[in-house]
This record gives sequence, C-alpha cells and structure tokens, in this order.
Amino acid sequence: MAAKLNCVDPPSSASSDSDLIDAHEYSEMFPDLEVQEERSGDFYNTPASPITVPYCPRPPSTGSQKSPRARRQRTVSLNQNNTTQTKTDIMIKTPQRTIYTAGRPPWYNCEGQNVEPFVIGICGGSASGKTTVAEKIIESLGVPWVTLLSMDSFYKVLTEKQHEVAERNEYNFDHPDAFDWDVLMSTLQRLKECRKVEVPIYNFMTHSRENRTKTMYGANVIIFEGILTFHNPKVTEMLDMKIFVDTDADIRLARRLKRDINQRGRDLEGVLKQYTSMVQPSFNHYIAPLMTHADIIVPRGGENEVAIQLIVQHVHTQLQLRGFKLREELAQVHAMNSGPRPPTVKLLPTTPQIRGLHTFIRSKDTPRDEFIFYSKRLIRLVIEYTLSLMTFHDKIVETPQGVLYHGKRMETNNICGVSILRAGETMEQAVCDVCKDIRIGKILIQTNLQTGEPELYYLRLPKDIKDYKVILMDATVATGAAAMMAIRVLLDHDVAESNILLVSLLMAESGVRSIAYAFPKIQIVTSAIDPEINDKFYVLPGIGNFGDRYFGTEPNDDC
Amino acid sequence: MGSTDMDMGLCNGFDYCKEYRSLKILPANDQIKELQTILRDRNTSRSDFKFYADRLIRLVIEESLNQLPFTECNVITPTGATYNGLKYRSGNCGVSIVRSGESMEQGLRDCCRSIRIGKILVESDADTHEAKVVYARFPEDISRRHVLLMYPIMSTGNTVGKAVNVLKEHDVKEECIILSNLFCTPQAVQTILDSYPKMKILTSEVHPVAPNHFGQKYFGTD
Repeated sequence: MAAKLNCVDPPSSASSDSDLIDAHEYSEMFPDLEVQEERSGDFYNTPASPITVPYCPRPPSTGSQKSPRARRQRTVSLNQNNTTQTKTDIMIKTPQRTIYTAGRPPWYNCEGQNVEPFVIGICGGSASGKTTVAEKIIESLGVPWVTLLSMDSFYKVLTEKQHEVAERNEYNFDHPDAFDWDVLMSTLQRLKECRKVEVPIYNFMTHSRENRTKTMYGANVIIFEGILTFHNPKVTEMLDMKIFVDTDADIRLARRLKRDINQRGRDLEGVLKQYTSMVQPSFNHYIAPLMTHADIIVPRGGENEVAIQLIVQHVHTQLQLRGFKLREELAQVHAMNSGPRPPTVKLLPTTPQIRGLHTFIRSKDTPRDEFIFYSKRLIRLVIEYTLSLMTFHDKIVETPQGVLYHGKRMETNNICGVSILRAGETMEQAVCDVCKDIRIGKILIQTNLQTGEPELYYLRLPKDIKDYKVILMDATVATGAAAMMAIRVLLDHDVAESNILLVSLLMAESGVRSIAYAFPKIQIVTSAIDPEINDKFYVLPGIGNFGDRYFGTEPNDDC
Repeated sequence: MGSTDMDMGLCNGFDYCKEYRSLKILPANDQIKELQTILRDRNTSRSDFKFYADRLIRLVIEESLNQLPFTECNVITPTGATYNGLKYRSGNCGVSIVRSGESMEQGLRDCCRSIRIGKILVESDADTHEAKVVYARFPEDISRRHVLLMYPIMSTGNTVGKAVNVLKEHDVKEECIILSNLFCTPQAVQTILDSYPKMKILTSEVHPVAPNHFGQKYFGTD
C-alpha cells in the first residue's frame, strides 16, 4: 500500500507521508489496536478498533482542494507523545503475568444499556490544523478507545464525467455537494449508538469507494473532523461539542503553498489558481459561516494549548458524568435478590456424574492433568445440553429398514462459538467436537487490577455474526461483568439478543441474576450455580481461577 | 426424569419404565432426537453417521456412569471453601460385545481414561440362528466389579442374553451389570428384563424398529 501511494502523483498537500510505513509495522505489532483492513478470505475480520482512523488515500491527482494527511491512515496512539507507540507502553510485565493497561472499560451501565459516546465535531478550513487539534485532544485526553472519523471517507462516488473534471483539477471537493450525507449520517448515528460500523474507504484515484471497508467499533469518544462538519443540521445535532478551528486565511494559504511546492513538487502558479478559484470561495461561502454553530472557536489551531486544555477538561467532566463503578455495582445490586431464577437460566440436571466431575475440578488438590481431563468432560456435557436448547422442527426420514421415522432436525446450521479469553477458550474444543466446521470468534476481556473493572482488548468475530446463533463461552461467571461486556459487544455487532446463549461451567447467583436481568432474552446455561462471591470477585466455594489452573499459569505460592 | 421417561415410553406405545424399573431411558430432548434422526436416516453419509453416532454414544456412556455407585465426599476449593461433592467407587469395568459394541469403547475411554475393558464375541449359527459365544476375555477380578456391558443395537435380545450368561458364569452379580445401549426394541427389553430382572438397561430409545444397519455403517462394511 505504501508502494501504491508512492507511485502516484503526490497530492497537493499533506503533513507527512513518512508515517505510513510505521503505521504498518505498528499494525503487525498490535493487531488489536490498529487499523485493520479486511482481507479477502479471512472471515475473522471484525477487529476491535479501540482507536481507529479510516484508511483513506488522498486525492493524488485532483489538485489542491484538500489537505491530505498520511497520518490519518494510522491509529493515533492514546496519551502518547510520539506516534510510534512501543509495546512496553501498554503492557506491564511482572514475573507472573503480563498486564495490559489499555483495554476499553465498560461503555454501558449495569443494566447493560449503552451509554452514548461523547462526540466532538471539529470544523475548519482546509489546512487550518483540524487534525493537529484532534490529535492534541486525543493526546491530552489520555482516554483509550477514541475513534477519529474524517469527512474524507464520505466523498461521493463520481460519475465518469465528474471524474474527468476531477482529472483536470476542476472538481470542487470543497463544496457540500461533494459529500454523501446519507452515508455520513447513518455512520455517525450508529457510532453514537455504540454499534459496529463499516466506514467506506474512498479512493481518490478512481473517485469511488473501494470494495473494502474500514470496520470501526468501540469508542468512548468520537472525534469527527472535516471542512463541513457543521453544514448539515442533523449532523450538528449529533455532536456533543462543536469546535471551529479558525486559522487566518494567509496562514492557511502559506501552509498549502509550502506543502504543495516543497512536498508535492507543484508549481506556485497552479496552487494559487486552485486556491483562488475553488478553495477560497468555498471557504467564504460554506465553511466560514459555520463558525456560528461552534461552541468553541480555537484560533491558531493546534498551537493553542490553552484552548485545547479547556476542551480536554470539559470532555473529562462529561465522561466522568457518564462513568461508574460497574463491577461493584453488579456485585451489590442483585446480591440480595432471592426468589425464583428467571426462566432463561438453564441449569444442567445435577446428576451424580456432574457432581462427581465438579468434585474433581473444584478440589485444590487435583493435579492439572486430571483437572483438564475432568473439565473437558464437564464442558462436553454443558455444550451438549446447550445444543438441546436450540430450536428444532419435526422431520420425517426414511430408514434403511423401510419404515418412516418421525424425528427432529435443528432449525439452523448457523451456529458459531465465541469464547471469552482466556478461560472461555477451554470450551472451544468441545464446541468443535459437537458441531462440525463451526466458526469460532474470540473476545479478550481482562480485569483492570487497579479499578477492578473489566476492559475490552481484542475481538475477532465471524463475518455476518448477526445471522448466527452465538454460543458465548466463559468457564466461570462471577459478577458477570466480563460476560456482560462480551454480550454488549455481540449486541453492538447486531446479533439479536435471543440468538445468544451464554454458556459456562460455574456461575455465581448474583452474576446469573445481573445478566438475566440486563438481558432477559439471553439463555444462560451452566452446570452449577454457587451462592456467593468473595471480595476478590471469586465465586464461593468455586473453582479458583479456572484459566490459571487449566493452562498452568497460577502464581507460585511457594516462592 | 420420570415424566420424560414415561412420555418416551408412552409415545412408543408401551409404558416400559413403569413396568420395568431397571430400564432407564436417556432424558429425552430435541438434541438427542436429532441425533437419533440422523442415525436412522438412510441418506446420512458415513462420515456424518460416525460423527453423530459418537456423540450419542458419549451421551449414553455419560448417563450409564450415573448408574454406578458413589459416596459423598467434601473437598477444599482453591478459594478455601468446602464443596460437598461425591466420589465414584473404583472397581468398575467395561465389556463390549464384538463387533458393534466396540464402537462404544472409545466413548467409555474418553470418560474413564484407564478403565479395564473386556470383550465377548457372540456369533449366530448360520443354520439354526442360535447365538453362540465363541470368545470371551475379561479382567481377572471381574466378579468383584460393576460391569458396563456395551452393545448399541438390541433387536431380539438374544446376543445380550448370551453375554449376560457368560458374565454370570464368571460370577458377576446380576445387579452389577448395566447394559449401555443406543436403540432397543420393546421385545428385547422384555426378553432381557424378564430373564434378568436385577440388571439395568440404559438406552436412548425404545422403538419397535431397530436400526440394524448400525454396525455396518459405523465400521464401513456395508
């Protein structure tokens, strides 16, 4: 891709192209934190994009209407001063374990309902420094899971005729009509609802959308920037904060000239002609009047530290108003709740075998090989039971004995498994053993040791997961905080609530109730429900840390 | 469990579970019905057949193990709390009736890693159709063990009857024999339990027509 960009005519202006290669190395290092492009043939293509910026090649031959920035193609690091974030920045290594520190905290309340992300709109003329302001805000915010959405992604697909006009540098990319407002609005709306969106990738060579799209999911703060972000009243309504970057016309022109001539090899006359014929008139007609909609006007763009600090303070206050201590709340709210369990909770019949298996895996003296062996047996039983909860229809089949047999077949073959890393992965094998060729998605959720809150780090889900019955697997559910986050992720990917089955070996009473209460249509399957949770959020009597025992990563008590 | 068992029995026209207390039927659900449907469908491919047969076998074996004796026991969990569990007694073994019974051996192995497994070969005389035991090999102390007798399809009960006789000749107590079975006919239940009222039968379905193609399709010799 870098090569492709290098061989085209340089766009009129850009802050820098040199970051591009970094961006791709970075992507290999942090597949979960990086802009992911969909690869054909790879069905695990729904990346968690905690901080995402759409890949958006800039107009290579359209002249100088826009100010391209290669920087937009990369993930913007959070709270980092330099953009080449290193591995050590998001991980803390202790002798026992590696702790990641940049997961996504809950974005929903204890009833599982989404809390709207905070949307910041940044408007301003071309080369006014919108991106710099956006980056400075992201940097000073220090909040993970920020999505940067650029209006550039929503340019209209050009007809052949318009394409020719663009070739002659006479297509006005600064005019409101150049944007596809419908797609823009629906994208922003879905992002605001915390849903997964496919952001189009606009190709400025062909002036059409590429077949690929950029998947964006998971933002607590959305920064939406572009030259006409305040143009459409419906879009303006969706913005929680409106910033106008006001930079003097001569400075903007100077920037463009500098970029275009130094970095793009264009001649002075051409740049000036384009500027005076389209860029400047558009600014005066459409962009400058938008200033009246702004909550804050930032003069001098990114250099204006005071303005940026004020903005950041305000965003922090707003985020705090929306935030809460989720896990504690979960543990308390339903702990006292007695009475019958909701009908969606399906407990396996407690046969002697199931109790016997539980005895093995709960005992602290069980060696690991036995622990694994008996866990697997129990998991198999739980999964078989889960499948019996699917919907079936009657079917009559012919037998080799010549008589008809009145049987049943499952309604759907579209079943997929999603495991919550790490303990949930122990259940994948059993799902594969009972469902041929089943697709498996993964979600990594870790508890933040400081806050005790679950945080989302990574997810890969099958394409079109919305069309599947999803078996969501986690070995144990205590407060239900991690399971709830995983369910929220599935719902945000348009999986119907009634198509989700949460499956685990052991759950705590309060966790079961919290989840059943928050998501009444989800079926919850488990082989045992324990009464209590201790102050470290372990189930009592419980199993201990299932993942550690299964994978042999328990902290060593002896030394 | 009782009510589902009865429904199962009733839908086959016989109230077997009431009549024969030692007949246990796998608690019915749609999933098990689907497995049975696939196994009975003549259009099922062999690879599917084996895959789904193995799943049903695993469920039957797991349920058979529920019939074995156990004692209460308490264990300490890693959180320091006590769990009231139970423990299975040792002294069990499996015996498969060659050939179709061997299809269930793996399922048993998957549940009990080191269980001893004996074998019995019963062949029908080509002329008289009378079943005859031609080979039997058991653990030496089988008389002291509970025996899971594995035979997936029972249509007349003759073969199983012969096998039970051999076990009894080896001093295995009748009440210590549990037959693990996938499909059996009402007639076979009657034949076996009338002759050996103390042994247990665990099956997934009682149905007048037995899927006699099981062994051939499972092993691919059809």
